Amino acid sequence: MSVLPPGIDAATFARALDEFRAAIGAEYVFASDNDRASYLDPFDIGEQDAHATSAALAPAGVDDLRALLAVANRYRIPLWPVSMGKNLAYGTAAPAMRGTVVLDLKRMNRVLEVDEELGTALVEPGVSFFDFKAELDRRGSGLWMSGPSHSWGSVIGNALEHGVGYTPYGEHVEQICGLEVMLADGTLVRTGFGALEGTREWQAFKWPFGPGLDGMFTQSNFAIVTKMGLHMMPEPEGMAGVSMSIPLREDYAALIDTLRPLRMTGVINAPYTIANGWRQMTGGRTRSQVYTGEGAVPRERMEELLAERGQGWWSLTFNLFDSPEGLDLKLSKIREAFAASLPEATMEVRRWRKGEPQQAWMRQDVSLAPLGVVDWGGNPGGHSDFGPVVVPIGERAEQVYAIIERRFIEYGKDPWIGMFGISSRALIFVADMFYTRTDAGDTARCRALFRQLCEDMADIGVGLYRTHIRFMEDAARMHRWNDHALPALNNRIKAALDPNGILAPGKQGIGTWEDGE
Amino acid sequence: MTRRLLALPAAAIGAAMLLPLGSVAQEKAAFDPAAFYEQRCAYCHGPGGWGTRRLEPRAPEGEAELLNRTSLPPAYTELVVRRGIGAMPQFTPTELTDAELAELARWLEDRN
Repeated sequence: MSVLPPGIDAATFARALDEFRAAIGAEYVFASDNDRASYLDPFDIGEQDAHATSAALAPAGVDDLRALLAVANRYRIPLWPVSMGKNLAYGTAAPAMRGTVVLDLKRMNRVLEVDEELGTALVEPGVSFFDFKAELDRRGSGLWMSGPSHSWGSVIGNALEHGVGYTPYGEHVEQICGLEVMLADGTLVRTGFGALEGTREWQAFKWPFGPGLDGMFTQSNFAIVTKMGLHMMPEPEGMAGVSMSIPLREDYAALIDTLRPLRMTGVINAPYTIANGWRQMTGGRTRSQVYTGEGAVPRERMEELLAERGQGWWSLTFNLFDSPEGLDLKLSKIREAFAASLPEATMEVRRWRKGEPQQAWMRQDVSLAPLGVVDWGGNPGGHSDFGPVVVPIGERAEQVYAIIERRFIEYGKDPWIGMFGISSRALIFVADMFYTRTDAGDTARCRALFRQLCEDMADIGVGLYRTHIRFMEDAARMHRWNDHALPALNNRIKAALDPNGILAPGKQGIGTWEDGE
Repeated sequence: MTRRLLALPAAAIGAAMLLPLGSVAQEKAAFDPAAFYEQRCAYCHGPGGWGTRRLEPRAPEGEAELLNRTSLPPAYTELVVRRGIGAMPQFTPTELTDAELAELARWLEDRN
């Protein structure tokens, strides 16, 4: 079944495809059903066809890209840039608006620079975490990659989407230092000190003369990012892997208040992960193995299962990075803090010293482990995340947690909830909705739950860190202050930079051509 | 058995030649299905991987791991890789070209 960009008839689209072929070579214009299917969202929360692409284009570099943009502007054909197209649970490679042509940047896949002295790198969009790790290993680099939980995605894509890792450099968007972007009219711009010819400082300093623009090209559709500088961590002298278990649901606020000062003072110097009872029970199995009743798996059933494994309601994991002596000091301060506030908490510690073989808990190896939870809710399974950003103040985190848990149960979904202590001052919640993709009732219930939670969070002034393409408008609308002044500003910038609106219409609710559902 | 594609795509050669100093060519020089399988498939389809575990109830006994299949028709492999199945997301043609996918599918079938 053919799919067309909105407002373009089949004959016009055929002519445009011919021009795209002439620009970059026919073998890099993908319009067959099989090829187009490979850009669908495998975990979509409903009909995949609602976000089907009409074709995909794969430029080899910026000259190809400029030629494609010229054609797209002429025909007013919308393009959806993806770097690896593995934004799993958030839409994968699929566009927000049906019929948008995917601009697949995978062929732009060079690691252009790894600076061992400065701890920086410069990469292109098609470099996956698999690729990047292999290249660092090949060079025998003394710099460590901060990767997310699955390694299939792009280093650039993950940072631009505000992804998360597990090292002191785990707030990936914070590691961006200098971008090269192509505007919709084909102009190539380098941000920061990249704007100087012969610069040595492009990847070193984020705040150039004039406005810092890197942030405006993250989670946005103002331009196409063609290169990204990033800061990288030198290999540490040692690491400690800490796993804690906190007994009761009611301990949550105290847990958050215990962690905040430890994180803020750098005692815990990397993001921590908290998982509730439901989340602890999903790894490597399916729901029907633990519960076959209606609605969410009851909390009591989860507590039974946790008790069988000797686990408490909350698990807490994090890694510490320091010299062996520094790690001793950190661990002693952490024990002291928990002894005072949550004496029933248990702690296991693993250690690693530079020169020893790496171990799985260090999360330095590439991984696809998260794919193992997808079938929790049924087969074929899928999941999507609700991700509010919340201050790590016990009372506020409890307020948000309680709302999410209650709504999930109300909608018959297991409240699979965790949080990343991404920085000293922010938690990112990850509340996963698992569903059977072929069960239209189940996916509709998840969409309704997501939208309900958007309303609930906006009412208490809490926004989201990232969403699936289906909820871009819903998440953007939550920014209500001063009559939605910020979303309106985004649209004004969009109109100025991309007057034909060809770049990723609807991404983050910006430059939308039509309403969603 | 490992077969290699004889012809390099012209664009891949061009890209490799035009690389600036200090950069690294990452366009594949030749496709090696065994290496691709090891790097991109075995994480889930190797012993104990999630793919292997999910296939245990469905595959013939002892054949949940793809390398142990007595029969794995290439057309089926090609469909699954392009469309995805179950928890397995699909591969795009920029990750694995049609020719490479055909090579991989034949390699999987031939070695079984």
